[in-house]
Amino acid sequence: MKINNNAVLSFKGGIHPSGNGKDLTSAKAVQTAPLMERYFVLLGQNAGKAPEPVVNKGDVVKKYQLIAQASGFVSANLHAPTSGTVGGLVTVPGPMGVPAQAIEIVSDNLDEAVEPMESIDWRNSDSKTILDRIARCGLVGMGGASFPTHVKLSPPPDKVIDTLIFNGAECEPYLTADHRLMVEAPRKVLEGAAIVGKILGVENIFIGIEVNKADAITELQTIADGYGVKIVPLQVQYPQGSEKQLIDAITGREVRSGGLPMDAGCVVQNVGTAKAVYDAVVGGIPLIERVVTVTGEVVAEPGNWLLRIGTPVMKVIELAKGVTDDPGKLILGGPMMGFAQKSYDVPVSKNTSGILLLSKADAVNYGSGSCIRCGRCVSACPMHLVPCLLGCAIESERYDLAAQNHVMDCLECGACAYVCPAHRPLIQHLRRAKSEIRRRSQKK
Amino acid sequence: MNYLELTVGAVLVNNFVLSRFLGICPFLGVSKRLETALGMSGAVIFVMTLSSCITSVIYNHLLVFEISGRRYDLRYLQVLLFILVIAALVQVIEIMLQKLSPKLYQALGIYLPLITTNCAVLGSATINAKQGYSVLEATIFGCFSGVGFALALLLFASIREKLELSNPPKSLAGTPIALITAGILAMAFIGFSGLC
Amino acid sequence: MSEIFSSIILPAVIFMGGLGVLLGVVIGVFAKYFKVDSDPRVELVTELLPGANCGGCGKAGCSDFAKSVVDGENPPGKCPVSSPEQVSSIARALGIDAGESFARRAVVCCGGDVEQMVRTPNYNGVLDCASAVLVAGGPKGCSYGCIGMGSCARKCPFGAIEIINNLAVVHSELCVGCGTCVAVCPRGVIKLVPAEAEVHVYCNNPDKGPDKRKVCKVSCLGCRKCERYSAEKFGTSGFLASVKYDAAELPTAADVEAIGCPTGALLTAKRHLEIETNNPEFAPNEDK
Repeated sequence: MKINNNAVLSFKGGIHPSGNGKDLTSAKAVQTAPLMERYFVLLGQNAGKAPEPVVNKGDVVKKYQLIAQASGFVSANLHAPTSGTVGGLVTVPGPMGVPAQAIEIVSDNLDEAVEPMESIDWRNSDSKTILDRIARCGLVGMGGASFPTHVKLSPPPDKVIDTLIFNGAECEPYLTADHRLMVEAPRKVLEGAAIVGKILGVENIFIGIEVNKADAITELQTIADGYGVKIVPLQVQYPQGSEKQLIDAITGREVRSGGLPMDAGCVVQNVGTAKAVYDAVVGGIPLIERVVTVTGEVVAEPGNWLLRIGTPVMKVIELAKGVTDDPGKLILGGPMMGFAQKSYDVPVSKNTSGILLLSKADAVNYGSGSCIRCGRCVSACPMHLVPCLLGCAIESERYDLAAQNHVMDCLECGACAYVCPAHRPLIQHLRRAKSEIRRRSQKK
Repeated sequence: MNYLELTVGAVLVNNFVLSRFLGICPFLGVSKRLETALGMSGAVIFVMTLSSCITSVIYNHLLVFEISGRRYDLRYLQVLLFILVIAALVQVIEIMLQKLSPKLYQALGIYLPLITTNCAVLGSATINAKQGYSVLEATIFGCFSGVGFALALLLFASIREKLELSNPPKSLAGTPIALITAGILAMAFIGFSGLC
Repeated sequence: MSEIFSSIILPAVIFMGGLGVLLGVVIGVFAKYFKVDSDPRVELVTELLPGANCGGCGKAGCSDFAKSVVDGENPPGKCPVSSPEQVSSIARALGIDAGESFARRAVVCCGGDVEQMVRTPNYNGVLDCASAVLVAGGPKGCSYGCIGMGSCARKCPFGAIEIINNLAVVHSELCVGCGTCVAVCPRGVIKLVPAEAEVHVYCNNPDKGPDKRKVCKVSCLGCRKCERYSAEKFGTSGFLASVKYDAAELPTAADVEAIGCPTGALLTAKRHLEIETNNPEFAPNEDK
């Protein structure tokens, strides 16, 4: 265990993005968005299998009502974000750029809710009861991977979990949603963390927070002891919030190549998930809204919004009073790992942590040069890979060589491409190699 | 003659490929993959050691003889003789390889029979004769000349594997950049020249 | 004279001759003990094959295919590159049946060139189809069509694919149907069809008509006009028409004329090529 003194912890590698754009929104309190006319709740917004719709066109639904049932174990329920009628199954632009299926809910502006589920006295319940509630409420990891939470919290019995880490690092530039959440709802986050600790039977519960969120650290530190949670200040370093890097920073353990955090005895969750766990278990409310940072230099009024799942991005930008200039690129998530979008009609999903509009100057293409073997990417790679070699190998389609050099361990954080003086599109190469290698191994 | 001097001289100072410029054909031809280069190196070391040994035995002990008081000196036949011996050796190795390691046999392809005319092999035999090495010296010299060849070939092959991943200007891509690299490698070996 | 003969020529001849015989015996012995049973027919067939090493037959190169032909695993006609004469010469050499010839041609089932298809302007990544498709589903509005960055054209061993107006077009007279491009295309928009087929549906988008119409002017709307014209020659699955390539009779240019596809997704290969190459605004050889 690294953590005994009050040192500010970190991992080896990574980058320090300058001018990280957090000032735009870090002091802006979360505002609740008004009701929209229509919501488009994407079906495939969790990792694993998409849930099956259980409502039909024309059905009248109420807020919190189940509209899609998890199909299989690795899947998550979906609930109506507001009351109204079901407009049917429609095709909308998906967050991955390909059209996706969504359930359209036409609001009746009443926002009537079904009776919320009973609050669970989690301290005196067994973990199965709590897990069932989490599964019923359709919780997924809110950090980005959107892996169903109940699956992640049911590790196979042969894995010994002794450490639970909550990720409040929020290392992505521009994003402040988790930051605001920790400042404004510290008790909910801490109690949610304690509930997850109870499910796993783990006593070592940490919340790692980068030191640029000093108010969040002090806020949580004053009350954390009451929940049996330790607050760990972390250095401002990207990608501090990545599972494996967070485990390394806090526990000093290494997740072996190809392994999962549970192999190192750890489970990592986002602080947003902790809050959702609290809402589900104590409040009895399913996951239908989340805090989203709406930001970027061209946004007229950047801020943090509590948005219902399914809100179209266009409407959110209208809430932020539109744009001051033509945006260069729309990104869902942060600038490093987020996904560029083709359409403003894409709806907010459970893992949308930010809506970022880059200015034209920031979205410029520098053109790519040849690798000059300077090795900056090597020192920046948090997984200790050799991106320059991988990039060259993939350009000559030597996927075998890329696989030999552990391209599959790449977490696509983008640190290598960020530091590359030749502006090489390394991440795109690495992603392509990963998808190609996956495709080939599936073929066999 | 000091044996250490002989070996170091053969491997580094008078490296067959990089300072005598013998055996360039397989050096450029079989250096695209490290794996085949390894096979070729093994084959060349084997052929060179054996051919040096056998040719030196024949050259030193069989070419000058006396029959019924008459002295015969057939040393002027050396080149012819060396080629004959080397060709036979290579043939034998080819037959063996085809049976024992068909994969390597296929990978070496045309370059295996070409060892016959590999000037490095003939060169080592000729140098043995010219320097007046004893059979033991000649065998050691042959073996380590082969090692020198292998060293140059393996170095070059590993560089070429990297070259394949890089992105040189179009006019230099392929053989031109390989030749330039070989030149730089040869210059690097000049650094050994004061060693012995 | 006889002095020279007995002191120089004779010993040389005897010595070299003796050595030659000795080495010959050594080689003979080795050849006997390390004998490899190789089939000369494999070499023969390899020589008769075109040597393109394209892998269209599913084997790793021509010599591998030759081996499988000799072993009776594949008929010689399975080679997509060989002409019928080449195939029959192989069959004659081996004294076996040539097998059904598999003459196929690749066709890029998409007509969405720069003019026809909506494009996202701000893609600025790697100019390679497999990479582009990973960024927001590629730079074109349609998620099923040709991306047009030429990954297939770069891989084609026969130079049969040309990128015109950001759309891959197959020159069928150069194509041998090896299928290399089919494996490369991340969208699966390239299909292998019988070589004699001249009419194709140049659309690969199975979405509903209006959705397609939003992104592409030449998409197949699924109106079933062609199917109503001849259900033997055309079919429709979902909202996408298709030519029934395994039907007894393939559609002809006259059929296309008679049907009059409302969007022009149903075309002969010749007409498709004409449309793309004669586009005055995007002429391929024009200097910009």
